[in-house]
Amino acid sequence: MIKTRTWVILFAAAAVLLGALSWYLLSRRTEGAVAQVIQDGVVIREIDLSRVSREYSFVVESPDGGSNTVLVQPGRICISEADCPDKICVHQGWLTDESLPIVCLPHRLIIAIKDPASGTDAVGR
Amino acid sequence: MLQKRKKSTLLCALLAAVLLAGCGGGVSPEPEEQSADFFAMDTYMSLRIYGGDEGLARRCQTLVSELENELSVVKETSAVYQLNHTGSAALSDTGADLLSRTLALCAETGGALDISVYPIVRAWGFTDAAADDASRVPSPEAVQALLEHVDYRRVRLEGNDVSLPEGMEIDLGAVAKGYAGELLAADLRSAGVESALLALGGNIQAVGSRPDGTPWRIGVQSPDKDGLLGVLSVSDLAVVTSGGYERYFTDADGNVWWHIMDPATGYPARNGLISVTVIGESGLTCDALSTALFIMGPDRAVSYWRSHGSFDMLLATDDGRLLLTPGAASLFEPEENLSYRVEVIEP
Repeated sequence: MIKTRTWVILFAAAAVLLGALSWYLLSRRTEGAVAQVIQDGVVIREIDLSRVSREYSFVVESPDGGSNTVLVQPGRICISEADCPDKICVHQGWLTDESLPIVCLPHRLIIAIKDPASGTDAVGR
Repeated sequence: MLQKRKKSTLLCALLAAVLLAGCGGGVSPEPEEQSADFFAMDTYMSLRIYGGDEGLARRCQTLVSELENELSVVKETSAVYQLNHTGSAALSDTGADLLSRTLALCAETGGALDISVYPIVRAWGFTDAAADDASRVPSPEAVQALLEHVDYRRVRLEGNDVSLPEGMEIDLGAVAKGYAGELLAADLRSAGVESALLALGGNIQAVGSRPDGTPWRIGVQSPDKDGLLGVLSVSDLAVVTSGGYERYFTDADGNVWWHIMDPATGYPARNGLISVTVIGESGLTCDALSTALFIMGPDRAVSYWRSHGSFDMLLATDDGRLLLTPGAASLFEPEENLSYRVEVIEP
């Protein structure tokens, strides 16, 4: 009799724990804004901006020999240097939300942010 | 004892059912997603298609590049390039359909939209990526001389054959993306697709609704660059925005000039609007009107809507107002703490 009750309690406790764990894992996955670095239509790098703790940068080489330097800081991303003729991508400055992706047309490079919390499917501009 | 055991078994089964239901998610199967992200028509395009045959996304990309190959003003093999450089060309059926409908829109908007304004756009350096900002503003004499060749009414289209008078050049860039969206949407619908979102460089064309049946949520870019004006919930509609905030330059005296030219003056249109969003069934009409209404300014834009209807719009004015048609207001959810004063236009 007591045995049965213990089993039920144990089972219920395990169920609650399991539920809490899976909820934590699932909600953690879609926590913050993720920046995608897309070269000629291919995502070459994904950066969860909410998990960046220190500034860093990297260089993206384009197939035709050009290059863009991408600078990453907590919560934001930009192209800090580029050898394209117009430098529109550098002038665009920091990107923090889904609004206007950074585009370097000459090097076919895009940095766009996908934020699951923003609740929009696309932005008209 | 037996009773108790039965009870606990039942309890276990119930708990297991609850847990499994939590993990399994919805019951209806999601249609398969296919996507294509690519550069075309001088912008970045992103297509998301739910359901339908494999290879549809690829086919859409091909359709866009075919259209671009015909309409490009810089590709030497394009029909429009040949037209601009020799004065005549033969268009495909699609190209002729686009041109005849666009010329009709030029007329309907009283020439606010004029595809022959291209030489002026070029004189202002908007076609040259390396133009020097300090010396880009053309002289009033140069603008005046070019204006003499701006008049869409002198474009002759007979069947698929088009010709231009001496000195005139056209560019369908103001309508090509909207038309492409409309074309792709029709193609996808005839292929049985009930849900797709086509973002052609900020021109949005929605096919049906989201796969879960709720409307697509389309953000409207704020002309102040930071964030959104709000969100539109749409199904089976095109949403096209024109603004001066994306392509502009600052001259040596600090004046800001943007790329939307007023065909009446040959100067960038500065008539009280900083952003225009048009919502409607035809991507081509939305694209054409977003440019034309921007050039008209708020008063003419409102009277154009009152007399023509069949579309909805959001107008952001340079004095901080956001004017919405009642139809747009019913789809629109403004951002919190929006700095614009929202006003609904009376029909």
